[in-house]
Amino acid sequence: MSSSRDDFSIAFRSALLQRGAAQKFSLVFLIIIASIIFFLDVYGFSFMKPIRSIINDGIYRVSLVASSPSRFLPHATSGITNFINIKKENEKLKKELEALKMKELNVEFLSNQNKSLKKIIESEESYLKKENMILSKVLIDKGSPYLKSIIINRGSKSGILKGMPVTDKDYLVGRIVETNYLSSRVLLLNDLNSRIPVTFGDEGVQAILKGIGKNRPILEYLPEEFVLEEGVDVFTSGKDGIFFPGTPIGTTAEGGEVKLFTESSQLSFVKVDISNKGSEDF
Amino acid sequence: MKSLRILSKLINLGPLILLYYLSISEIDSHFENYFEILSFNIQLIIIYFWVSKRPEVLGSGHIFFAGLINDVVMGFPLGVSSLSYLVVSLVATYIKNMTVNTRITTDWFSFFIGIFFSNLVFFFLLVNFSEIVINFTDISYNTFFTLLFFPFFWFIFTYYNSIITTGKNA
Repeated sequence: MSSSRDDFSIAFRSALLQRGAAQKFSLVFLIIIASIIFFLDVYGFSFMKPIRSIINDGIYRVSLVASSPSRFLPHATSGITNFINIKKENEKLKKELEALKMKELNVEFLSNQNKSLKKIIESEESYLKKENMILSKVLIDKGSPYLKSIIINRGSKSGILKGMPVTDKDYLVGRIVETNYLSSRVLLLNDLNSRIPVTFGDEGVQAILKGIGKNRPILEYLPEEFVLEEGVDVFTSGKDGIFFPGTPIGTTAEGGEVKLFTESSQLSFVKVDISNKGSEDF
Repeated sequence: MKSLRILSKLINLGPLILLYYLSISEIDSHFENYFEILSFNIQLIIIYFWVSKRPEVLGSGHIFFAGLINDVVMGFPLGVSSLSYLVVSLVATYIKNMTVNTRITTDWFSFFIGIFFSNLVFFFLLVNFSEIVINFTDISYNTFFTLLFFPFFWFIFTYYNSIITTGKNA
């Protein structure tokens, strides 16, 4: 019994401390260094911020170059498949056209919705009145099972601050959570860490849109015994003072989910709204 | 002769280049468009296999740096992926020290121990020390699929290992 324990401790110590033929560092040394770096970064020591910013900017640029073959291939193959599938696409477009015609018939519903939205639009901080938008290119959108985020090519140099809203074709896609000098990280709406105050429906129901790590975020904190209808447009309420009221997000779907207007995996260019300069320290 | 030597050196560097490339590039192993819960961590498989089979092609320092790069690209606090990778490397080194001959089944089982501790460290550090919220079930799915795909990569890497001829003297 004691000899097997000795064997274990000898092998474990050897694994930790021994340096192999081509190894320059022992594992225990690297584990200690990694732990130190982790705690320095997590506890946000002031000297770590510029260091991290420089590292981030550098690595994002290298990552962009390294990812270019993987970006080019899907474009090339999609061009060929698009050509082949043109007939299918035509049929699909016909169906979409019919669906759009059906939507036109739904004027009554839309007019009701307009009334409630007018209240939002007429407010001083309306989403439609904003002008300060920065167009940014998506550098990296590496899918992760844990974090849903993208990297854009604008940073603090362009006046971007933490918390600023990010849109694609005027639809909200997320907010800035990390700024570097030349790049920023955008937390997408479907990330587990995302919480956005929203409003929807004729009565202007207030709720929180919460990311759950899946494709569709869910609505939380709805009024008691509230029955959620499907297909109702969801907008930002602007209650947090960060997002402009009335920015479209998506439509309600089954089980309190919200089908987003934008496909997060298809983002190429996004717009950052830099008019709210009080967004830092989010 | 010289070009042959360069080629064999490049072949020896294959696992290292792959590890760095997977960490820095946009290529991901999260296939949410096909199957929402399908994601696996190829880096862990690469590290475990090559550290246990041929540690000279994958130095600990490189594993550490690949982890740092992965943290930057993925948006995690610096050092958390490095620690996670080094834990797998530690288990692989321990198994290498303790065993003489391994088969795919023993490798598969010991890899499970490796990724269990690795993901445990990753989850524990993020949940307790950072503001990032991650889902325990996502980590579990990732661990499961990483374990499930291990034999597939084991055969590919074993074949690759057999064509590395000069690696032992690298």
